[in-house]
Parts: sequence; structure tokens; C-alpha cells
Amino acid sequence: MKRLALILALVMGIGAGFGCAKKTGEPGYVDELTPEMRAAIQQITDGRVYFAFDKFDVKPEYKDMLRGKADLMKRYSTIRVRIEGNCDERGTQEYNLALGERRARAAYEYLVTLGVNPGQLEMLSYGKENPVVQGSGESAWSKNRRDDFRVVAH
Amino acid sequence: MTKQILLALGLLLFASPAAHAAMRVDIYGPGQNIVNLALAAPIRSPQSEATAMGRDLQQLVEQNLSFLPFMRLTNPKSVLGGTVLMGYEPPNLDFKRFQLAGSDILVTTFWPDGDSGTKSVHLRAFETNTGVRLFGREYLKVSARDLPEVADRFCADLLEALTGNGAFFRSTLAFIKKTGKLSANVWLVKPTGRDLRQITNMQGEALSPAWSPDGRFVVFSHIDTKSHALGVWDSSSKKVQRIRFPGNVVIGPAFMPDNKVAVALSNGKYPVIFLLNHVFQKERVLEQSDSINVSPTFDSTGTKMAFTSSRMGGPQIFLKDLNSGVVVRVSKNGTYNTESNLSHDGTLVVYSRMTDYGHRIFVQDMVTGMERQVTFGPGSDEQPSFCADSYFIAFASTRGGGGGIYLTTRHGGDAKQVPTGGGPSSFPRWSVPSK
Repeated sequence: MKRLALILALVMGIGAGFGCAKKTGEPGYVDELTPEMRAAIQQITDGRVYFAFDKFDVKPEYKDMLRGKADLMKRYSTIRVRIEGNCDERGTQEYNLALGERRARAAYEYLVTLGVNPGQLEMLSYGKENPVVQGSGESAWSKNRRDDFRVVAH
Repeated sequence: MTKQILLALGLLLFASPAAHAAMRVDIYGPGQNIVNLALAAPIRSPQSEATAMGRDLQQLVEQNLSFLPFMRLTNPKSVLGGTVLMGYEPPNLDFKRFQLAGSDILVTTFWPDGDSGTKSVHLRAFETNTGVRLFGREYLKVSARDLPEVADRFCADLLEALTGNGAFFRSTLAFIKKTGKLSANVWLVKPTGRDLRQITNMQGEALSPAWSPDGRFVVFSHIDTKSHALGVWDSSSKKVQRIRFPGNVVIGPAFMPDNKVAVALSNGKYPVIFLLNHVFQKERVLEQSDSINVSPTFDSTGTKMAFTSSRMGGPQIFLKDLNSGVVVRVSKNGTYNTESNLSHDGTLVVYSRMTDYGHRIFVQDMVTGMERQVTFGPGSDEQPSFCADSYFIAFASTRGGGGGIYLTTRHGGDAKQVPTGGGPSSFPRWSVPSK
């Protein structure tokens, strides 16, 4: 029985070593992505969640997309994702930092309820400091009230 | 060294009981006075104008006084007989010519040993109607590079003699200058635009600077591409620390009077306002609810805290009595009020409100319950901050295009821009000067 446990621990240790997360951008990092992993990362980072003004609830139309991201993150457990919450330019900076965090947290919580390991997720709020579209007007504002998904390790 | 000598040897001349009965200017009441002030030409000897450092100091004093909205400088051309006088104190002062020009106060400047090199200068202020001296000071060993400091010290003393508080000219503003997306650092400047300097040079974006009451530290939020942190600049070492906390946000730090920092940090679902101890570790919760709570500021006693909360839906301003724990809503109009700042005397809360035309600054009087709009754009007016005199308000505005820092007062009125060099400037926060 003890021998079996030892063998099991060794196998798990070796597995964990191979699956060890690599931080992108690390010195000496060699891109060894399989096409499937590359596609998964692309899908996780591509889709954004958009919000109404001063709101942080995830609208129903984004839930399928988040489900897709959750499935991939569960399949590739070495992938680590930073959810970045953002706001449009209309609100004020300090409040928007808090609102951006709430937006990131809304997606985080939904992904966790779908079974994603919280250890694969981190959050960062940029408030209104990192707009993806410059300019005023609802067409720009609506694109800036968003969650971005950035793979920080895989 | 010269500065130390100046500080040590600034002498109060001829303090007399008469000075205590002199005029006072009520800048706090609803009917703010206008004071007409004349500057006599600086002299080296009777009717001999000081045209070197004397002229430069005169210009600096004029520039300083132009920041006081309740003060009107007398045009020298309107003074019959001119402003070059026989002396610098009675009986050699001809007050009548200044009375005729409508001046309430006369300032004289005397350089007894000339005004080139390193010399002493006497500055005095008199009421023109009574001849009563408001105050007088002698500044020793003054060289050309000391002139801005002499001007600031004199104007602070004059302001204090007239209003009871000279904090404006003794303060330094910390503010943020942005150089690009997610790139901003902390700078300092006098409210008159002098002594502009950068104090941090970090990758990422600094926001929300705040002075410690002892003037040693400036704390700020710092965001880079990985995390939020609390930035701490120490004026003694000129070094900056970046302190991380568990969780995701570090928003809007502010000092309490005992030099401890309050800041919004993550704690579960919503940011919570924590008090940190003297080594910047969490000490206790100051405010939390099932909503966003950010941007604490305090009165000079540290018993009242104004902050922004979304507990009633959209963001509004609240005031907490830290002794009783009672929280009252401050902003009663509008759907989006943020960035509150409590006056040092605890009677006024200033904040920005989102309107259809951008943000505007409002002042809520906690004694009378009246709200007053003090800025009217154009552009967006944000991040208001009270000077320690509870009178001046600095704020950031896009009225000039790229974003600059402006001054107004608790009564509103024309805003005056603080020169901060090139680049968008925001988040002005006053130091708390010790006299």
C-alpha cells in the first residue's frame, strides 16, 4: 500500500513538473505552445465583456462566451488569466478604480461558479486609465466599459 | 544656509497693541470684503527707488497678491504724487494720496543698505485710514535667490494679519502629471506656481497624492501592468517605496492628523476603507458596507471622515463621525457625486458632481445645510481639495484643453490657473503648513 502511494506521488510530481506554469515574457522562455493551446489562449483573450454605465453585472449575452473561456481554463489548468476591469472616461478616477475592480470581480465570480480554479485567476482594475478607444460619445464609452482577459502564464 | 538665517532671523518689528485692533477681513462670511491694497515703490533712502532686488521683490509680491480674490491692487498711476515716498513708516508716509486712490492698506518696502548683493529689507503694512501698522518684518541677508521665499513669507504674514490664516502662501501642492497612457508621476508646486519639481519617477501611473500632516511624506496610489500599490515618498530620504497589499485595489489614500494613513483596499467583494498603522499595515476598518467605499478625507481633528459610497445606488458623498460611528449623507442632489474633500475646520465638504456638461465642483455647508456650486466649467472640473485655511480650493479642470490645476474659493468666483509647466496636471492636494 505504501509502495503504491509512493509511486502515485512520484507520478503526480513528474506530471506537475511537466505541467508547471510558465510566465510569458520570462527570460529564457521558449514558446512550446501546441496549436490547441495557442487556439485556447486566443479564444480566452479575444472575447471581452462589456458593461452598462456605472454597472458591473455580467449581461446574459456574455455568459456563453464566459462559459467557453471556463471550459478552456478547466481543460488547460496551467493557464493563468488576469481579468482587467475598465471604465469609460465619464466617471471620476478613484471611484472608477473601484468600479473596474467590481467589473473584474463579476467575471471572476462567474468563472469560479463555472468550476474554474480561483488559483488560475487574478484581477486588476485600471479604472478609466486604459481606454481601448479614444474619444467621447457612447460609441467610444461603450467599448471602454469592459473586462479584458489576459493570459499571464500557461 | 541663507534660508536658515532667514527663517531664524525674520523679526517681528514693533509689535504694538494698536496692531491687534487693526482691520480684519472676513473671507469666510457670505459678504466677503474686497480689500484695496497699494504697494509703495521700494526705496533705498527717502525718495530713492530701489530698482534692483527691490523691483524684483515688488513684482513677486504683486504676483502673489494677485491670487487673493478679495484683494485689489491699486494702480500706481492712480496715486496722485506717485508711489515713491519720503520714508517707509510714519510720520514720513503720506497716507492721504493712497486714501484718495481708494487704498485700504499701504505696503512699504525699505532696503536700508541698498538692494544689490546680499542685503536686509524691511516690509511693513499700514491701514491708510488710521495709520495703524498691521505688522512689519525685517528679512536679513537677502540675496536674489531668496526673493521668492521672502515674498511668500511676507504675503503669508500679511494674509494672516488680515484674515487670521496665512496657510495659502505656506502651502505646497502635490499633484499628478501625466506623460502618457498608464504613465504619471507625482510633482510639487507652490499654489503660486513657484518651486515646481518632480518627486517620483516610476513606471506606471501615480494617482491621488496626499501629504502627511508633518509634511514628511506624500502617499499615492500606484498602478502598473500587474498590480495596485501604495506609493510612499519620503522627503527626508527622497526615496519612494511601493507597498503591496493582499487584494486588487489601493485607492485614494489620505492621512489622518496622527500621521496614519486611511486607504480603500480590497476585502472580499467591495473596497473597504482601512486605517493603516505607522508602518503601513492594516490596523482596522474605518468604513465598510455591501457597496463601494472609497476616497476618505478628514478634518483637522481626525474625528470626521468624508467619503464616497455607492450604498444608495450611484456614488454619493457621506460623512462619518468616527467617535459615534454615525454616517450621514452629504450630497443630496445629482446622481453621481464623488471625490469629496473635507475642510480642515470640518464645516464644509467639497466634491465633484457629474452633470450633462461635465463634472462641476460643489460645496456643502454642514452647518447651514446649504449647497453651493463653485465652478461652472467649461470642460470638466474634478478632484477638489481644501487648503488648510478652509477657504481656498484647488481642483483639476480640462477648461484649458489638456488638463490643468486651478484655484477658487469656498465662495466660488473666477478660477485662477496654477502654472505647472507642460503636460496634463491633476489631483492637487495641499500640504498642511506649520506656521
